[in-house]
Amino acid sequence: MVQDSKEKLSFFLSSLKDVYTFFFFMGKKSKKMKIFFLISILPVVIALIIKINQFFSDRTPIQGIYIFNNMTVVMYLQFLILLLALFYGTSVCSEEVEGKTLTYLTTRPVAKSAMLIGKYAAYTSLIIILTTIGVTLSFFILNLNDLLNFSLYKILLRDVVVLSLGLICYTSFFTFIGTIMKKSILFGLIFSFGWENVIQYFPGSTQRFAIAHYLKSLLPAPKTGRFSFLMFRLEPSPPLLAVFMLLLITGVFLGLACVLFSWKEYIFED
Amino acid sequence: MKPIIETQHLSKWYGNVLGLSDVTLEIEPGITGILGPNGAGKSTFLKLITGQIKPNIGTCSIKGKRIWNNYPLFSFIGFCPEQDAFFDELTGWQFVTGLLRLHHYSSAEREDKAQKALEIVELVEDKDRVIKSYSRGMRQRLKFAQAIAHDPEIIVLDEPLNGLDPLGRRKIIRLIKSYKGEGRTIMVSSHVLPEIEAMTKRIILIHQGKIFAQGDIHYIRDLIETHPHIISIKCSDPRRLASNFIQEEFVLNVKFSSAEKTLLVETNNRDKFFSLIPSLSVKNNIEVEEITSPDDNLQAVFDYLVGK
Repeated sequence: MVQDSKEKLSFFLSSLKDVYTFFFFMGKKSKKMKIFFLISILPVVIALIIKINQFFSDRTPIQGIYIFNNMTVVMYLQFLILLLALFYGTSVCSEEVEGKTLTYLTTRPVAKSAMLIGKYAAYTSLIIILTTIGVTLSFFILNLNDLLNFSLYKILLRDVVVLSLGLICYTSFFTFIGTIMKKSILFGLIFSFGWENVIQYFPGSTQRFAIAHYLKSLLPAPKTGRFSFLMFRLEPSPPLLAVFMLLLITGVFLGLACVLFSWKEYIFED
Repeated sequence: MKPIIETQHLSKWYGNVLGLSDVTLEIEPGITGILGPNGAGKSTFLKLITGQIKPNIGTCSIKGKRIWNNYPLFSFIGFCPEQDAFFDELTGWQFVTGLLRLHHYSSAEREDKAQKALEIVELVEDKDRVIKSYSRGMRQRLKFAQAIAHDPEIIVLDEPLNGLDPLGRRKIIRLIKSYKGEGRTIMVSSHVLPEIEAMTKRIILIHQGKIFAQGDIHYIRDLIETHPHIISIKCSDPRRLASNFIQEEFVLNVKFSSAEKTLLVETNNRDKFFSLIPSLSVKNNIEVEEITSPDDNLQAVFDYLVGK
C-alpha cells in the first residue's frame, strides 16, 4: 500500500516535471511572452527616463531607493503582477479550450491535476523571471550612484520575493477562474483593478479579503511622501501570517482548479 | 476475438441536444469505420471512447477498464482529433517530441519515436518548419504522426481525410491500412463513404446519435432484406435473359444499361437471383461475361438507411 502510494507520487512528480518542461519551453517561445516582456520592461524605461532627467536637472535628486520602493508598489504590485497573473493564470486552461488543443493534452497518460499544476508552475516561473528582470534592472538604474551600498540589495531581494509571492498567489486564483469561467479575463480585470484596489482600503477585517493586503503587509510601512496613500494600510497582518495566508490562498485555489479541471467537460465551440 | 473497446447503453446529451443515444458496441482489433453525416454523433462517440467527455448514461471501457479520468490507459491510445488545431508556434519536430515527453519517454526515446513517426508520414524534411507554415495536408499528417508516435495499440482517427486533396487522401488511407496488419484496433470516422470503403469493410453507421447498423458491408446489406439490390449483368444476349428474369417474383425491375450488352436487374432476394443465373445462362445458351452489383457499396446502404 505504502509502496503503491510512493509509486503514484513518484509518477505524479515525474508527470509534473514533463508538463512543466513542455510548457516552459512553449511559453518561452510564444508571441504572448514577447508582448509581456515589452510591457514588463516599461518600468525600466521609466526608471531610465527618471535617471536621465535627474542627470540633467539642477534640483536635488530624490533618493533612488525611494523611487524604487514606490515603483515596486505602483508599477508592479498594483499593476504589472496583476496583469501578468491575469493573462497567464486564466490561459492555463482557457487557451487550450479556445485553441482546441486540450485534446492533445488530455489524451496522454498524465493526470489532469498534474497537467494543470505543471502548466501553472511553468507559466508562474516565466512571469516571475519577467518581473525579476524588470525589477532588478529598474533597481540598478535608479540606484546607479549607490551600487556599493549593500544594504540596498536586501530591499531588492525582499521586493522580488514579495512580488514573486504575489505572482504565485494571483496566478493560482486566476487559474481557478480560467477553469470555471468562459469570460475569465473580464472577471479578472474587474477583480484586479476593482476589488483588489478598493477592498484593501476598507477598515476592519474587510481588507483581509484582498490578496494585496497580505502582500503589502510584507512591505515596510510607508514614509510620508507623494505615493504614501498607495501603501495605506489600516491594520497590517503580521508577516508570518501574511505569508501563510498567501500560500493558503494559492493552495486552495490551485486545489479547486485541479478538482474542476479533472471533472469538468470542456466542449469546444464550432 | 476479444473486444478491445466496449460500450454499454452509452448516451450523451449536450443540454437538450442529443449527442448519442443508447449505443452498445464491441469493437475488435482491425479497422472499424464510423460513418454518418455531419452532426450524426461520430465525434461524440469518439470523444466518449477516448475519455474526453463523460457519458450521461451507460459505460465505456477499453481493455475492460473505464476510460473517463483513467489516464494510464492513454499509453495504449493514439488520438487524431478532427479539429485543425495545433500549438502553432512550435515546429513539427517540437510538437511531436513535446507530446511524446508527456508519455514519459527519455530524450533518446523521444527523438527515435518522433523520427520514426515523421518518416511514416513523410514529414522529415519539413520537421524544423513552424507548424503555421504547413499546408493543410501536412497538418493532417502531423496530427496522424502525434497519434502513432508512441506506438499505441488503439488508434482513433476523427475525420482524418477532411480537407485533403486526392493525393493527400491516398497517402493517409495507405498509412491507415498499413497499420491494419499489426494487430491494432483502428477506428476511423468519416462522412465521405468511399473513403471509409477504401479502408475497411467493417463499419458502424451512425445517424442522429443512434447506431443504424454495424458489421461487414455485406452483412449490413443482408440485413436490409426489403431493400432492392441492383445487379448488373454483361452478357451476349441481354434481351433474352431479361425475358426470363421478369417471370420471377423476386425480380422487381429490369433495365438495359447504356453500357453495351449490359442488363440492370433489381431484386429483393439476391441469393435466389444469383442461383438462378447459371441455369438460365446454360438453358438459353447465353454467355455471361461479368456480374457486378453497383449499389453494393456504402453509399447505397447509407442512403437507404437514412431514408434518402
